[in-house]
Amino acid sequence: MTEAELRRRLTQPAPSEEEAGHRTWEVVRAAFVERERVPRIERRSRPVIAVALAAALAVAAITPPGRAFVQRLRDVVGRSPTEPALVRLPAPGRLLVDSAQGPWVVQRDGSKRLLGSYDAASWSPQGKFVVATRGHSVVALEPGGKVHWTVTRPQPVAQARWAPSGFRIAYREGSSLRVVIGDGTADRLLARSVVAVAPAWRPGPVNTLAYVDTNGGVHVVNVDTRGELWATTPGPPLRELAWSADGDRLLAVSRGREQRIYDGQGLPVSTIELAAGHVASRAAFAPAGRTIALTDFDPAASRSTIVVVDRGREQTLFKAAGQLQDVEWSPNGRWLLATWPSADQWLFLRTPGVGRIVTVSNVAGEFDPGETGSRSFPRLGGWCCS
Amino acid sequence: MPGSGDERAWVRGAQAGSASDLEALFRSHWPRAYRAAYLVVHDAAAAEDIAQEAFLSAVRAIHTFDRRRPFGPWLHRIVVNRAIDWARARSLRREIGEDALEGAPARPDPPGQMLSEGIAAALAGLSPEHRAVVVLRYLLEYTPGEIASLLDLPRGTVNSRLRRALDSLEGRLEKERP
Repeated sequence: MTEAELRRRLTQPAPSEEEAGHRTWEVVRAAFVERERVPRIERRSRPVIAVALAAALAVAAITPPGRAFVQRLRDVVGRSPTEPALVRLPAPGRLLVDSAQGPWVVQRDGSKRLLGSYDAASWSPQGKFVVATRGHSVVALEPGGKVHWTVTRPQPVAQARWAPSGFRIAYREGSSLRVVIGDGTADRLLARSVVAVAPAWRPGPVNTLAYVDTNGGVHVVNVDTRGELWATTPGPPLRELAWSADGDRLLAVSRGREQRIYDGQGLPVSTIELAAGHVASRAAFAPAGRTIALTDFDPAASRSTIVVVDRGREQTLFKAAGQLQDVEWSPNGRWLLATWPSADQWLFLRTPGVGRIVTVSNVAGEFDPGETGSRSFPRLGGWCCS
Repeated sequence: MPGSGDERAWVRGAQAGSASDLEALFRSHWPRAYRAAYLVVHDAAAAEDIAQEAFLSAVRAIHTFDRRRPFGPWLHRIVVNRAIDWARARSLRREIGEDALEGAPARPDPPGQMLSEGIAAALAGLSPEHRAVVVLRYLLEYTPGEIASLLDLPRGTVNSRLRRALDSLEGRLEKERP
């Protein structure tokens, strides 16, 4: 083979070259536009990349449904060194991150903007607005920080969530659940005696909301007619509600072993059962389909596992010492972001399986740039809108 | 390849905020950047990520880029070094975690309808470091001295890697001939 022949053979197009080019140009163009529009606010920690492929990560074992999660995979040991900065998100979209200083909007290129002194925030359905809470106030603002309206209540407010229609916002005031129209008007009571579990809007054009009462019962109501569509009997304490993207499955994450999944009419259709003594920290449906990602914590061994459940099949993606906290899907469903407070890290896991892992370290410091001393580990408020 | 005048004009335009100039720069460099990453990692998704990261780095640094310097070597340095890191990490993971990877086979890449499967398979038999020098020399057309600079290696090391890589490729391709 001559050098000329080698050149000729190497210069032929590679598989997926053209499609990958189209996708990448969209990402690059968006980053360029955002870069022009959004002033960078944290030059100090900007340009250090933290792409570390973990050398000893335990990856991917499939177990039959209903069985205890496998314990045979290796723990995370001997990880590749990581460098301390969040430089870019591996998938399109923007992240909301709640820190001790307030919520941050993280752009795809890693630049961050502190929204202000709010307790927590979540996205509007298209990511054009953010709804935040602070003390007794619910505030609607743009991701750039411009406030549009405020509703103030006698008691502290929390867990504001914007409906997929864009026309309603639900939030909790003490032990009551209230709903306000998307322009900040017609604030009204929806339910009393609710627990501190974020209400969950059902995807779709109808303003349907799920919430949990103080007896552990789940209620699904049409917010506009106030008609209750279905409710469950009282049950164990719940920590989270999550709808599938098609609105036909509701996952009720409990503080016990059993995690129940209901269909659109409120009938329990399946259960994810954890091993004895384990608890589910967080769970999230993928942005398409009915795949669930769940963090399973074993307090006795102080070990966590990220499990993906798809059509009854459980797949263990990742195991780690300590507690994994939040889990969030990228808008395109190709990446999972898990937060790991004891390691002060974020883990971006490429799915399905774990084709790739991107590790970001020094996360608490990233969201406390002035080092105010209140370095509580930041929580995820949502990964929005590719 | 773009003329140096075109490229300088595109960089200047992008620095002034022109998305169309940035697109021209992207379109002229994407094929070789992606191909270089693919030939080192042999994984289409990873190649896309690596090349994408390199272009995003370019976007972040475009305002400080020295227009008198060519854009290609700067981009290719990022692409090839990241591709080597990725391929090394994958090899390491295989060595220490073979049992853990059971049940999660890597997704097969789409068949290489355009790139010769023979040359891709032959390259896959080389180490990432050897693949990289072949790609830099025969796809991206750098001289051994330039490759040494891009990879922070002595020139003698580049020459010996090239020689060994070519010998190995020759042998592997010979075996495939009917």
